[in-house]
Amino acid sequence: MEAQVRSRASAAVGRASRALAWRRTLPYLLIAPALLGTIFVHVIPIVWGVFISFRNLDIYTIANWRAAPFVGLANYLEALDLSDPDGVLFLRSVANVLYYGVVTITIGYVIGLAVALLLNQRFYGRTIVRGLVLLPYIMPDSVAYSVWRFIFQARVGIVNSFLMSLGLIKEPLVWLVGTRTMFSVMVASIWKGWPFASLLLLAGLQSVPRELLECASIDGANWWQRFRYVTWPHILPVTKTLLLLNILWNFNAYNQFKVMLGDDPGIYAEVPSTFVVRQAFDNLRYGMGAAMSVVLVLMMTVVAIIYLRTLKPGTSVED
Amino acid sequence: MNPTNPEKKAYRSMRSPRARAIRVAERVGLYAAVILVLVVVLIPYLWMVSGSFKTSLEIQSADITDPNLAPRWIPRTFTLDNYRNVNRTVRIMDYFRNSMIISVGTMVLCLALSILAGYALARFEFKGKGPYVLSLLVTQMFPGILFLIPYFILFVYINKWTGIQLKNTYQGLILTYSSFALPFSILMLRSFFANIPREIDEQAQIDGCTPVGALFRVIIPIARPGIAAVGIYAFIMSWNEILFASLLTGRATKTVAVGILEYITNQEARWAGMMAACIIVTIPVLVLFTLIQRHIVEGLVSGSVKG
Repeated sequence: MEAQVRSRASAAVGRASRALAWRRTLPYLLIAPALLGTIFVHVIPIVWGVFISFRNLDIYTIANWRAAPFVGLANYLEALDLSDPDGVLFLRSVANVLYYGVVTITIGYVIGLAVALLLNQRFYGRTIVRGLVLLPYIMPDSVAYSVWRFIFQARVGIVNSFLMSLGLIKEPLVWLVGTRTMFSVMVASIWKGWPFASLLLLAGLQSVPRELLECASIDGANWWQRFRYVTWPHILPVTKTLLLLNILWNFNAYNQFKVMLGDDPGIYAEVPSTFVVRQAFDNLRYGMGAAMSVVLVLMMTVVAIIYLRTLKPGTSVED
Repeated sequence: MNPTNPEKKAYRSMRSPRARAIRVAERVGLYAAVILVLVVVLIPYLWMVSGSFKTSLEIQSADITDPNLAPRWIPRTFTLDNYRNVNRTVRIMDYFRNSMIISVGTMVLCLALSILAGYALARFEFKGKGPYVLSLLVTQMFPGILFLIPYFILFVYINKWTGIQLKNTYQGLILTYSSFALPFSILMLRSFFANIPREIDEQAQIDGCTPVGALFRVIIPIARPGIAAVGIYAFIMSWNEILFASLLTGRATKTVAVGILEYITNQEARWAGMMAACIIVTIPVLVLFTLIQRHIVEGLVSGSVKG
C-alpha cells in the first residue's frame, strides 16, 4: 500500500519534472529553425567573407578557396591605394555615396516633414490622401526606377520636355550619362523615399497632445515657437531613428543605380555597392570584393557608433 | 488683461471679415498644397500608364525638339498590343510565374519559422533571449551587399561538395529571402502574440493542450490577421528584391524585379512594352499592400516611435 503511494507520487514528480524540463528546452527548439536559417544566410557568409578577403580568390580557385594564395592585407592595401586606378575609384565611390546620402536624406526628410505637417491638418479627403502619398513607397524599386529612367530620357522623356516648354533649355540635356547621372538618381530616390519619412513623422505628430498646442497658442506662441518647443520634442525620437535607418540603407544603395544606370554607372555615380559587385562578378576578383565589403562594414560600424554615442536615438521626450 | 476664453476669441475672430479672408486663404493654400503633393506622387504612375498604351513607334519617334513629335500624356494611337504581346519580346510572364513561386515559397517558409520563434519570444523566458532579440535587430540592419560575395561562393561550395544545387533554383532563393524577412517577421509576430491575453492559452493548457498544441489550436487562429500581414510583408520583400536575384537566378528562375530590365538592351529600348510590364509587376504589390497597410504601418511606427 505504502509502496504503491510512493511509486505513484514519484511517478507524478517524474512527470512534473519532465514537464518542467520540456518547458525549459521547448523555447530553444522553437527558435532553432529560424536561428539555423540566420546562421546559414548571415553568420557563416559574414565570417567567411573575412577569411576570403585575405586571399587572392578568383574564378580558378572559387571552388576551392584553400588553393587560393594567401595574400595577407594586399587586397585591403590595393582597395585603399590612391596610386591604383581601382583604389581611386573605390574611394571616389565612397565619396559619391556620402554626397548622395547627405542630399537625399536631407531633402527627403524636409519634404517628408512638410507633408506630414500638411496631412496632420484637417481637410476633406484626408484619409484617402494619406493612403495615396504612400504610392511611391509601395512601387517596387525596379519598376519605380525604370519609370524614372524613362522620364529622364533625353529625347523622349518628360523632364526635358517640361524644361523646354518653360524655355529653360534650348537643347535636350543628357541626364543618364556623364555628369548629371547623380542628380537624376537623387531626384528619383527622393521621390521614392520621402513617403517613408512622412509616414513615421505623421505618427510622431499624432502623439503631440492637442491641448498642449492650444495652450501654447493661447499663451501667444507663434507658429514657429509652437513647432520648435511643442511639436519638435515629440518628433525628435522618430527623427533620430529615421536618420539611422536612412544612413544604413543609403550607404549601401544599389537598386536605384543599377536600374537607372546599369552595371557600370560611370565615375560620377559609382557607389560602393555597384563597384563591389563589378569587382567580384565582372572582374571575377572575389577576394578583392570581399575585402572592400569588410572595409564598408567597418566604415558603417564607425558611423553607427558615432551616431549612437552623440545622438542617442530612442531617448524619449522626458530625457 | 483677463485671460481670454479661447472659444470666445475664436468665435470673435471668425466674425471679423479680415480674419475670415485669412481663413479662406489658408484653406485654399492647404488644398493647393495637397493637390501639389498628389501631382508629384502620381506623375510617374500616370506616365507609366500612358506609356503602356502607346505604340512603340510613337515612343521611338518622339522628339522633344519637334513640337509635332513631342511626347504627350494622351497616346496618339491608343493600343492594347503591349499587354497582348507582353510575353513576346521579354518572357515577362514566365518571370512572373517564377516570382510567384519564389514569393509564395518565401511567405510559407518565413511564416513557419517566424511563428515558432515569435511564440517562443512572446510566451517563454529562457537564457539568451535578450541577446537573440538584439541579434535580430542587428541582422535586420545588415545590408545584403556585405555578405553577397561569400554567400555566392558558399552556393558554389555546397554544389561542389554535396551536389545540391542552390544557385538558379527556387529553393535557393526561397531560403535566402526567408532569412532576409525573418527578423522583422519574428519581431512583428512576437508583438501580435504578446497582445493575446496569456489566460487564453493557459486555459487551453489546463484543459489538456501541450504548449505546442496551444500554439496551433488557440494562438494561431486568434492571430490570423497579424500572420497574414507578416506573410504579405515577406511576399512583397521577395517580389521586389534585385541584388541577390540578379546573381543567384538564371534563365529558369529569373524574377520580375530583374527580368524587367531586359526591355532595354544595347540595340533596342522597348519602353512601351516595359511600361506595360511595370504595371503587371506593380499590381500584385499594390493589392497586397492595401490589404495590410494598417498592420505594416503600425508595425513600422511602433518599432520606431517607441524607439
